[in-house]
Amino acid sequence: MSALSPVVLLVEDEPQMRRFLRASLSSHGYRLLEAETAVMGTQLATSHRPDLILMDLGLPDGDGIALTRAMREWTQTPIIVISARGREEDKVKALDAGADDYLTKPFGVNELLARIRVALRHALQNANPGNETPLEFGALRLDVTRRMVWIAGNEVHLTPIEYKLLALLARHAGKVLTHRQILKEVWGPTYAEQPHYVRVHMAELRKKVESNPSKPRLIVTEPGVGYRLKDSG
Amino acid sequence: MTSPIVIPSAKPAPILAAVSIVVAVTGLGMAARSLFHLSVVSLPDVVALYMLAIAATAVRYGRASSLVASALAVAAYDFVFVPPYWTLAVDDARHILTFATMFGVGVFISGLTARIRERETEARAATLKASTEQIRSSLLSAVSHDLRTPLGAITGAATTLRDGTAELSTSQRAELLDAICDESERLERLVANLLEMTRLAATDVEIRAEWVPLEELVTSALARLETRIGARDVVVDLASDLPLLHADPVLLEQLLLNLLDNALKYSSEGSPLEVRALLEQERVQIHVSDRGRGLGGLDPEGLFEKFVRGSNPGIRGSGLGLAICKAIAVVHGGGIRAGNREEGGAEFEVWLPASRIAPQLDLQAPLEALQ
Repeated sequence: MSALSPVVLLVEDEPQMRRFLRASLSSHGYRLLEAETAVMGTQLATSHRPDLILMDLGLPDGDGIALTRAMREWTQTPIIVISARGREEDKVKALDAGADDYLTKPFGVNELLARIRVALRHALQNANPGNETPLEFGALRLDVTRRMVWIAGNEVHLTPIEYKLLALLARHAGKVLTHRQILKEVWGPTYAEQPHYVRVHMAELRKKVESNPSKPRLIVTEPGVGYRLKDSG
Repeated sequence: MTSPIVIPSAKPAPILAAVSIVVAVTGLGMAARSLFHLSVVSLPDVVALYMLAIAATAVRYGRASSLVASALAVAAYDFVFVPPYWTLAVDDARHILTFATMFGVGVFISGLTARIRERETEARAATLKASTEQIRSSLLSAVSHDLRTPLGAITGAATTLRDGTAELSTSQRAELLDAICDESERLERLVANLLEMTRLAATDVEIRAEWVPLEELVTSALARLETRIGARDVVVDLASDLPLLHADPVLLEQLLLNLLDNALKYSSEGSPLEVRALLEQERVQIHVSDRGRGLGGLDPEGLFEKFVRGSNPGIRGSGLGLAICKAIAVVHGGGIRAGNREEGGAEFEVWLPASRIAPQLDLQAPLEALQ
């Protein structure tokens, strides 16, 4: 992120939606670039190198998912999909294509701003890796170099799978990881079609790290999509 | 109007029935003529018997069968009762006239009964269409009322803010803005419910079943209701021997969410909720119960109909929540029912088939993929 206010590229063909986002984003200190089509979106993304992209899925000249996939070949700029397609499979497709987040229309502006902040912070962290300090989320503390986990100061013993799950979620705190993404990272690509592996181990992990597993505060389930470690920042 | 047309199809079973009837009548005629004197049971009596059989076949089995019966009756009559016996040959030419009359009457009866049957089917289809139409129009009026109410509030509040010439105080403005936000949310929920209901009502509804622990679904439904639950006590008691369910996680979570939402709405602030699940006779039973007023006089079956809602006027809803629950339980091969608790409060019970082939994971197993 530059010292100047962050630049957000909005790829959206619906004028009323652009109107609402223009008003709310610029009043919150973001500079806005607007594209009505996929072609225009690609052009602006290449020429202006925005800090974040808000992507609608149904564009007149193409699909936002295909555009996301194409952009991921040359840029790691965070992409947040904003779409009226509320089905879980659409979310999964967009996230698997490389989107960082997914918001279903209608959404409130506070929700959007929160997601933008999380995405920008991640981009910043990914740009400056090598951060060796332990990660902290509420009562959870995770030391990646020593592979140790504490809850409210007490060390928690996790199985290797549970540790890998937690470390993966922590590295992407605030971001939804799909079952497929988690399976590929933790179990390897051959397990990509076994979502119950994730579900069963996640339930065990929750029993160990959540103070009340039936009221999870740390690990949030996105039904039919995947999991997210709550990032309160 | 396209009405279903009855095509006289030659299905094997009715044809077989026609053959059997003719054989039976032939047998009966033979028995009668051998038991009694030939003058007591004359040939016209046999012909009348055949006509009766043809008419019965037409009424019971339709045109194709009765035509077969007519032809067979003529052949059988000739073969068995007309000299020379046991041949299809005929001595006396006047029998030819009998055959022709028999067959002609048979064809006539077939046509007549077939027409009656068609009319009946048409009448039944018309009645069905009328009642479907009535249901559809009452659904439509319920939906349009429910859509217009929040829209009306939004339009009213927004135009007041935009066009209002009167001075609005800060608190009045805030109130109008709150109304816009609340009503938009209500509208969104209604639209989401309508879409869900439409999707579930499709005959070829597709469910994306995966192996999923019930625990995760209960937890995530509770998490989504977190602010509404607030400080209320929620007892979650899931038996430890529950197998993984083969279910669409999104739909099943929706079901639990709707039941919990209902329990929250229809019980008083601060009263506890309970979610229990156990395995019984190859079924996973899930109970969601509250300490509210119970079902009162409501019909426990009718609750699951679309646009039926509790009589409490202070409580808003689309009247689709429980209909969606039922549809979800049914597409999973299960069911749902409502009842009152002995101690007071309502209880909803959902049951789902428990799969015997549910996978089991060894949680401690080291994986070769892990260092």
